[in-house]
Amino acid sequence: MSATPVPCQSSNCIKDRPPSRLECPTCNKLGIKGSFFCCQECFKANWKTHKIIHDIATPRQPLLDDPNINKDGTFNPFGTFKFTGPLRPVYPLSPKREVPAHIPRPDYAEDGIPTSENRKLGLPPRILAPEEIEKMRNVCKLAREVLDIAAAAIRPGITTDQIDAIVHEETIKRDAYPSPLNYRHYPKSVCTSINEVICHGIPDQRKLQEGDIINIDVTLYKDGYHGDLNETYPVGRVDEDSQRLMRTAHKCLHEAIKLCKPGALFRDLGKTIEPIARQKGCSVVRTYCGHGINDLFHTAPNVPHYAKNKAVGTMKAGMTFTIEPMINLGHWDLEHWPDDWTSTTIDGKRSAQFEETLLITDTGVEILTGGRSREDLL
Amino acid sequence: MDDLGEIPELVDADTTSAEDAPEGLSIPNLADANDSEHPPRTVPLTIISGFLGAGKSTLVRRILTERHGYRIAVIMNEFGDTADIEAKTINVSSPDDPSQQSEEFLELANGCLCCSIKDTGIAAIEKLMKRKGAFDHILLETTGLADPGPIASMFWQNEEFSQGLGRDIHLDGVVCVVDAVFGRQQMEEDHAADGIGESLRQIAAADVILLNKVDLVPPAEADATEAVIRGVNPAASIHRTVRGEIDLKHIMGIDAYASRQLLEVSGARVAKSHRGEHEHDHNHNNVHDHEHSTSPTHYEIRGISSLQIDCPKLSSQQLDVLDEWIRSVLWENKLPGSPSGDNSGLEVLRCKGLFVTTVGDLYVLQGVRNLYEIAKVEDEELGLPDAGKLVFIGKGLNEHVRRSLQEQLKII
Repeated sequence: MSATPVPCQSSNCIKDRPPSRLECPTCNKLGIKGSFFCCQECFKANWKTHKIIHDIATPRQPLLDDPNINKDGTFNPFGTFKFTGPLRPVYPLSPKREVPAHIPRPDYAEDGIPTSENRKLGLPPRILAPEEIEKMRNVCKLAREVLDIAAAAIRPGITTDQIDAIVHEETIKRDAYPSPLNYRHYPKSVCTSINEVICHGIPDQRKLQEGDIINIDVTLYKDGYHGDLNETYPVGRVDEDSQRLMRTAHKCLHEAIKLCKPGALFRDLGKTIEPIARQKGCSVVRTYCGHGINDLFHTAPNVPHYAKNKAVGTMKAGMTFTIEPMINLGHWDLEHWPDDWTSTTIDGKRSAQFEETLLITDTGVEILTGGRSREDLL
Repeated sequence: MDDLGEIPELVDADTTSAEDAPEGLSIPNLADANDSEHPPRTVPLTIISGFLGAGKSTLVRRILTERHGYRIAVIMNEFGDTADIEAKTINVSSPDDPSQQSEEFLELANGCLCCSIKDTGIAAIEKLMKRKGAFDHILLETTGLADPGPIASMFWQNEEFSQGLGRDIHLDGVVCVVDAVFGRQQMEEDHAADGIGESLRQIAAADVILLNKVDLVPPAEADATEAVIRGVNPAASIHRTVRGEIDLKHIMGIDAYASRQLLEVSGARVAKSHRGEHEHDHNHNNVHDHEHSTSPTHYEIRGISSLQIDCPKLSSQQLDVLDEWIRSVLWENKLPGSPSGDNSGLEVLRCKGLFVTTVGDLYVLQGVRNLYEIAKVEDEELGLPDAGKLVFIGKGLNEHVRRSLQEQLKII
């Protein structure tokens, strides 16, 4: 397959322009032939003049024809990114939403840095006192209310930003702070993850379409405690694969919850979750895990959803944490968008997730964020 | 001044198609985790720690020279400090010329990675390999005083994210270079952080220890130093070296966090009853004393202690009890069966073990910090030892600890 080597194109090649098969990758991509250099040094030395060829060869698109700009003025800010599936961000994001001053805020609301979490790194999971548990029960109940209201708004045509507005409003109506807002600089009050997005989708101007699946992940902060839950919903009628996916993710979560009681090991949850996913032809995401939650948004323990893990910790009465399996139709691995938050499957196939905040009681487990069962998941 | 932008790497025109230009995303096939017949290639990573001036850099240079023909990446500096990722460089040796190294920069991978547990530094190395291809080996040279334990723990944990594409990093082992001239003095006098001498921590975390510059000390001094090392870490293999000269098979490709090294080291100890030969080659160019003197089963110096516990064949019920005991000790720093006042300061930094069950299965225990794994060994080419042995290195490891385990297992 080897073709004839071409003399080094450098005008001041110190090796006297030996023939080479090393080519400028950009020219290769653009289909420009003949850009050969004998070595990286020659290439670097000639870069300033050489790149002019790229600029000339790249067709300039007038704004009207730029595929990244939509006719209604919305746009895709990451035009050169190689997306793994069909979904695209639809910017601009709406302006930052305000939280009324009377509502107590977590430490990161100002500077984005969860200082209190960082201080508690490496410590084992906390056992909550009874009055703390009451506060957890309350904030989790409110978080469930907010999620249900947001879910009721799902319909083709509504944008994820509008869902964000609903979540934000309903949260502050309950005198609570929307935990995601400015957590490590996250820009919005809820995560909305559509189709191939695994988690942390940022609400934007994209309208939901019939056939989409959307995960809404709500967390509230009230009285000093966080409550976290999410569910994946169909938008209108969805295909069978998507139904299978949602049912599987839901089953994974609830079978895992059944294992929870004092003395159970966090590392054993994956042993139940993964076979369920495999049996349905799905995979379990590894990079994101369930987490302890109390006065801190994310804290010990770490709760992997995959089998064969080395998770540290035994469940004890008074511990509160989430289980939130992310299940994919294709491969388990993920890729992040350049917004540094949105994670998508690497093969573009869909992903679904369900999450509850749990409390270990003396005899078993209490689902603090529990809600009505959904007919479509049975 | 006109921004030139990032200058891309030249590509080989014969193997690159337009879709394959760097940054191309190859979609992997679901790797079957149970496919043990064709285990996917992984990239071994060796952590090289050592006392100041002991000869780490010499060792690294030797590795690069001897392993010419391989692409070896050398990362310097403290790891786990995510703020500095983009300031860290990583030198990659060229397969053609070992004296040439290209300097690559680590870039932060996309993704805040906050609720994910993958370390940003590790993600940056993986991103580099995705762009430039898998390395044949990665050497991570820690700064003089760094404790390799947490770093090892991070890389070991990261193995749970293996994809089977040939670019997964696996922790091959931790090597510690000790200075035969000043080593003993350092071990006995250096600064103690959290109650344990800093150089002792490095020895505790090591799988292989090179006692370097032995040509500069009388044999008795080398013996004395080696005795301290062996006491602190009875599970590591120790080699005496001159100018860092050692057969690289003893430090690279050793798979110290799997079963092979444990079996080899224990095979040599059990050698007296089962085999006449030691497994290692004797490299006559090294000043190499291979006498496997039995280390005391309990040893203590400057806050650090080690404990070796013999273990008979275990029933499956005893195996469960052992796992429960280890969980209590590693995760809660509590000794089962003793009143809670009794085990203040118990902390295990590293543990390794080998044991056999009554049905003839071989199990291996590996642990660093509170991360551990007990796994069955499928590969039996080295044969089953008669008895099992557990080694613990850390703080507060005394006879109460031994007793506690023996009582729980009901073997006294």
